[in-house]
Amino acid sequence: MDKFRLLFQHFQTSSESVMNGICLLLAAVTVKLYSSFDFNCPCLARYNTLYGLGLLLTPPLALFLCGLLVNRQSVVMVEEWCRPEGHRRKDPGIIRYMCSSVLQRALAAPLVWILLALLDGKCFVCAFSNSVDPEKFLDFANMTPSQVQLFLAKVPCKEDELVRDNPARKAVSRYLRCLSQAIGWSITLLLIVVAFLARCLRPCFDQTVLLQRRYWSNYVDLEQKLFDETCCEHARDFAHRCVLHFFASMQSELRARGLRRDLVGEPPEALEDLEGGSGKAHLRAVCSRKQVDHLLSTWYNSKPPLDLAAPPGLQGAGLSHRAPMVAPGTDLSQHIDV
Amino acid sequence: MDKFRMIFQFLQSNQESFMNGICGIMALASAQMYSAFDFNCPCLPGYNAAYSAGILLAPPLVLFLLGLVMNNNISMLAEEWKRPPGRRAKDPAVLRYMFCSMAQRALIAPVVWVAVTLLDGKCFLCAFCTAVPVAALGNGSVAPGLPAPELARLLARVPCPEIYDGDWLLAREVAVRYLRCISQALGWSFVLLTTLLAFVVRSVRPCFTQAAFLKSKYWSHYIDIERKLFDETCTEHAKAFAKVCIQQFFEAMNHDLELSHAHGPLATATTPSASHSPTEGAEEERGKLRGITDQGAINRLLTSWHKCKPPLRLGQEEPLMGNGWAGGGPRPPRKEVATYFSKV
Repeated sequence: MDKFRLLFQHFQTSSESVMNGICLLLAAVTVKLYSSFDFNCPCLARYNTLYGLGLLLTPPLALFLCGLLVNRQSVVMVEEWCRPEGHRRKDPGIIRYMCSSVLQRALAAPLVWILLALLDGKCFVCAFSNSVDPEKFLDFANMTPSQVQLFLAKVPCKEDELVRDNPARKAVSRYLRCLSQAIGWSITLLLIVVAFLARCLRPCFDQTVLLQRRYWSNYVDLEQKLFDETCCEHARDFAHRCVLHFFASMQSELRARGLRRDLVGEPPEALEDLEGGSGKAHLRAVCSRKQVDHLLSTWYNSKPPLDLAAPPGLQGAGLSHRAPMVAPGTDLSQHIDV
Repeated sequence: MDKFRMIFQFLQSNQESFMNGICGIMALASAQMYSAFDFNCPCLPGYNAAYSAGILLAPPLVLFLLGLVMNNNISMLAEEWKRPPGRRAKDPAVLRYMFCSMAQRALIAPVVWVAVTLLDGKCFLCAFCTAVPVAALGNGSVAPGLPAPELARLLARVPCPEIYDGDWLLAREVAVRYLRCISQALGWSFVLLTTLLAFVVRSVRPCFTQAAFLKSKYWSHYIDIERKLFDETCTEHAKAFAKVCIQQFFEAMNHDLELSHAHGPLATATTPSASHSPTEGAEEERGKLRGITDQGAINRLLTSWHKCKPPLRLGQEEPLMGNGWAGGGPRPPRKEVATYFSKV
């Protein structure tokens, strides 16, 4: 139980961990999907290739799109790409970094499916049974070409009357499975070598730029989450005050109509409670529909510059090297200028 | 048990996670329902298509409606749709946002059902067994000689291996493989199409109505919270009302007893207790009442909340019987297209 909790906590510590967790989950779902899918080769001349190749390529495409859908960062990336510049300059390097990290994670599940299909062999046998060269197998010497094609089309179906217990069928099937598994293992090896090289050789390239881009892409994601949370807090306080206002105004209406019967020890106006510290702090002086709408439009159209030390209302670029108050040693300007 | 509690806690950590969790559960339930369902093709010419169409279409409809019903926000949407505008204008964009997000989540289980049905193939086999091209797949020479009803009767039995008697015309396995292959191809195409659609909608949206989207999201969340807070405040009020009502009743009873036993031995016994009730907690309870202290006032408050919600503007005390739109009030926002801001 403790292990489970630790695992959950670990995955929630950073958005990257969450994304890795989701990626692994999708890969596990793919394995389950493949094993529960009932493969059904039609064993007819033209349909075999279509079915085999379709099954090899369509589910990976759907899984890739699922991988993009499930990953929150893809939406954050598109938002960052489409936003108006406003006070904060856009950095294409960050968008590229986010794009590549999203794509890498989305490619995991499709690759799992393709490798499983190739290592299992059924898809390959179904797709290419008609393309086998009959010369390779001595059993076909006595058959006419059309008979050979018919036979080959039925090879994937073990239980069919024409090919049941036929050694020629077994030979062709073994040959194709062997080819399929060889291709599968080669692709696996290639992927692992490419991943290994990419990981090892990455520090040889511009490591500083990479670190900066990773930082800022994480920042963009966290900023969006925090903004959403702050909006939620704000909405809660807004609603709270609105409801209390409503009760207070009903009270004054009743007083105005002279209908209220005075209770002994009537407490003071409820409004005064609302000026308490935390209530006011959360609302941050944004107290009407117009103001909230204006706040949200400004957030979209003109995000604030990335400069906490600047006074509010500074009309400058975000990552500009002109800002003298940036802490020394950050040197953002020279490297981010792409 | 502990595992479930932890999973629930994780899912409830924010509202979106929770809704996504519910979607996932409904999708799994849909797949499980299909595997538990005992498909039973009638194998009769007219009935096959009707049965299969029913199995393919009726459960998804039920699952969609169930998905909407299980979502608490549907009543919120209905309330917001039906309320009179009063001092707070209605925003159609917010209503659209609420409906779209609910419909999207409710569509997941039906899509899973349709996909699983097509990928399994039994339904398709049952529906289209009479449409198999016998000439191409089976004994092409015999087929034209058969009258159509006889052919239909024979082919309708393809899904039922125990009663199929047409092996001389068409091998059952061939027909089954053919139809299942087509069914699975359709199933995967359907899955691809729906994921493509979902992807396009989700990824392309930020390029267009992002500013309007942020507003709609905020105000729909606001409406939900406001409703909950109003209910909580009313509950508090009702509790305080009940307490004060009961206290007053006991006070009145005490007073009556005092009057009738003023010279009796009970007088010395009752007076100390009578002095307790007005002080302990009574001030607090009366405070919670906020001046609304009789049935008529409460009814008027609740009617007013429904008919005429207060404007979304804090910091000003306006009388309810004013001109209504003092200061312009909230204006209905127009649909925003933000493309002209994008410099991509």
